Amino acid sequence: MKNKRYAMVLDTRRCIDCKACTVACKAENHVPLGRDNYRNWVTQEELRGSYPRLGQSFTPGQCMHCGNSPCDHICPTRATGVNPDGIVTVDYDKCIGCKYCMTACPYNARYFNEEKGAVDKCTFCAHRIYGDGRSPACAETCPTKVRVFGDLNDPDSEVSRLLASRPYRVEQPDKGTKPFLFYLM
Amino acid sequence: MSRQSEGKLSRRRFLGLSSCALAAVAVGSQVKVLSALAQSGALSVPVAQGERNVLTSCGMCVNKCGVIARVKDGIIRKLDPNPHFIKSRAMLCARGNAGIKTVYDPDRLKYPLIRVGERGEGKWRRAGWEEALNLVAGKMNGIAETYGRAGMMFASTEGTFQDHFFNQLAECFGSPNTVRHPSLCLSSNIQGFSATFGTNPTPDVKYADYIIMSGANRAEAIITPDTIDFLKGEGGRRKVVYLDPRFTKTAAKADEWYPIRPGTDMAFVLALIQVIVTEELYDKAFVSERTVGFDKLVPHVRQYSPEWAEEECDIPASDIRRIAREFAAAAPRAVYYQGRRSSFMADDTQLRRAMAILCAILGSWDVPGAMVPNGKIPLGAHDYLPPWYDDIPPRLDKGGAVYLSEKDGSWKVFRDRVLEGKPYPVKGMMVYKQNVIASVPNRAKTMKMLEQMEFICTIDICMSDMAWYSDVVLPEATYLERQDPLESLAGIVPVVVWRQPVIEAMFESKPCLWIMQELARKLGGEVPDSFNFTMEEAIHHQVKKNPQILEDLKTKGVYYEKTEPIYGSTSGKRLKTKSGLIEIYSAKYEENGLDPLPVYRAPETTPANRYRLVVGRNAYFTHATTANNAYLHDLMPENSLWLNRAEAARLGLADGQMVRVRSSVGEERLRLEATDKIRPDTVYMAHGFGVLSGGQSLIRGRGGCDAALIEDHLEPISGNVAMHHTFVEVLPA
Repeated sequence: MKNKRYAMVLDTRRCIDCKACTVACKAENHVPLGRDNYRNWVTQEELRGSYPRLGQSFTPGQCMHCGNSPCDHICPTRATGVNPDGIVTVDYDKCIGCKYCMTACPYNARYFNEEKGAVDKCTFCAHRIYGDGRSPACAETCPTKVRVFGDLNDPDSEVSRLLASRPYRVEQPDKGTKPFLFYLM
Repeated sequence: MSRQSEGKLSRRRFLGLSSCALAAVAVGSQVKVLSALAQSGALSVPVAQGERNVLTSCGMCVNKCGVIARVKDGIIRKLDPNPHFIKSRAMLCARGNAGIKTVYDPDRLKYPLIRVGERGEGKWRRAGWEEALNLVAGKMNGIAETYGRAGMMFASTEGTFQDHFFNQLAECFGSPNTVRHPSLCLSSNIQGFSATFGTNPTPDVKYADYIIMSGANRAEAIITPDTIDFLKGEGGRRKVVYLDPRFTKTAAKADEWYPIRPGTDMAFVLALIQVIVTEELYDKAFVSERTVGFDKLVPHVRQYSPEWAEEECDIPASDIRRIAREFAAAAPRAVYYQGRRSSFMADDTQLRRAMAILCAILGSWDVPGAMVPNGKIPLGAHDYLPPWYDDIPPRLDKGGAVYLSEKDGSWKVFRDRVLEGKPYPVKGMMVYKQNVIASVPNRAKTMKMLEQMEFICTIDICMSDMAWYSDVVLPEATYLERQDPLESLAGIVPVVVWRQPVIEAMFESKPCLWIMQELARKLGGEVPDSFNFTMEEAIHHQVKKNPQILEDLKTKGVYYEKTEPIYGSTSGKRLKTKSGLIEIYSAKYEENGLDPLPVYRAPETTPANRYRLVVGRNAYFTHATTANNAYLHDLMPENSLWLNRAEAARLGLADGQMVRVRSSVGEERLRLEATDKIRPDTVYMAHGFGVLSGGQSLIRGRGGCDAALIEDHLEPISGNVAMHHTFVEVLPA
């Protein structure tokens, strides 16, 4: 059987910056309290224009589960790894907290979890996917259903259909990281 | 600009820190919170019970979304959305997800407390329930003895599903003086729409092609399913025009945003009507068959041209005219979204009348995409017979508004009369989860009202400002620890919801029903007679005629009969108005000396060097109740004063500096946010900060309290407060 390739497709036009994803993630993954500790986020982009002609976008983000992950390449202890389905993982026992990966990640997707004594980041809620098959907590709870999670190797999955039918972009393509978070345009 | 992105960028700074920062990091997991509490002897750690998924409903705001609580070993690990909960399109917002921290909050009220210092000094003594309730009952009976039973007032939140029992106690105790939330919120909305349609309908957002939204920031003040549905769906057919003095997140999502001058919305609506009437764009058949008074509307609106409205609203006449034509072309799939809260200006009921009239002349009524009357799934009632007392006077605030709600009253009028002591004294206060001090405008006046109270008891889950200034504080179990009665939620897709306990109530907290029953017993006389029932019996009475409801709640967590709105329920029937028709012209209002058609009165001009203070919501907090929640606190640790960037520069004030904000009734200190996102003549601050309570450790001393600044103006038709009549000065701190 062909491997899965997990990905997330985001329709940011539907994002209202309610931060349900951020809180759901903190609760689901026991992310320590504090404003520097989070696995996912919503960026309020700079205001466009000036009063009274204004515009603003909100961009949710998290680990991009890159196909060419700088964090994986730089990790000196192999604490960071990549599963066959594309999920980039951290083995907390192997992590020595050197934080090289935090510097290497162009998306600033990693933080140091003081409770774990290790670097932590989004796993697409792997424990849910591999457990009872539920979607990541952020995608499931999203009020306006900005995030769609699924398997890109399945041509009938919603993520495949969205990418086949709609134009999209990835963040910082110039970095060559081959991210698997796709933003619909 | 973006607080969250600032936080995001800043965490690279963290690279320089060593792990010794551990001590400063707050614990994240519920397990650790519990262990910490167990170590302090506050409670015992639950014994292992395996994993369970419990279907219940959220209690963090008014929406009551369906929740699946994931419980492991007696600890709630996660709250997930219930996929069957159609009303909220199967979602949970930030607050819903953060509910877990409301349960495992170290600041929670744990035991009954009796005040030992001065009020507000924060000196308490832990008491047992027996002692605390004996004290409360003794004080209540003492006040009844001295001042009469009406001398006790009962202030309550609504929508906890157990507030009915609190109000039942008021009734059985014999006081007419229940004061509730609507006169700080939606009472003028209900009044204005009901006077026109006989009911307050719901805009059918999902199927509307054109939505004009003013006074409702639906992307941030979450009301389900509208918050989800107002966004463009597939195809992007829907148009949203949004009026707000602030560039909110709704503005960011709207097709067109107009920073309207606060308090002039009625001018905009009347000008739309004028264009539609003049250009004969209205639904002639609908108007002649279903409405009364159109003939009087025609000459009335002649004066309200788009050119005139441009001067009032700061919205170009050409846009007003175009919007009117587009709106009429989209009708009947066109709604003027009235929102929920309507406590803005003293003419708010008449503004709501104007909105309703606009929809009525376009035939936007009871068809897909229009204003649709709510349905409600019938539930049986657990009946009780309150004792009869001969000497009960009318409500204290009777006559204080033209159409005063008998159960809700008018906070503004009520408080004034308590202070006057007329027509009779009110000297005792029972409060159920209403944060009166932080919510009723003019906090200084509220404090004066409290000073003259001989006794105050507050039931809550946290040390709100109201609890902090009480004599006895009683801890209620949170929404995740209670069995609640069923609640039928009215709407265009009505549902029935309930709550079952996810975990056992922690500490010594108790559900409201238990507290009311025990208190009733101690009050004695005939008060306890009607409290002799169990929750199971109450629920049994609710579903006697339709046991399927309970079955569905147990298996799906929600009961509904239809998944799509029901249209046409009023077709061929009399409406609940005097004429039985949609009343464009209100003969009832005329009889009561009110304007039978909405008459525009310009708001007072903003004085030089003053700003109009406006209120508004964000998606992280519910009223003044959730700012101390640890997860939500991470999203927004304090509020700021929004001031237009050019104005801030003119005043020599820098973004981020502390400022003093002064009105005629108070002064607050908070951080300045210099921004383009607000009109130059207007300032804004989020609600729920600037707390007085020492029992809210995360937010004590953070931000400013809007209720301390807002003057208490009255909307005289419904008794609502009018919160946008306050001007403030902004000074460096």
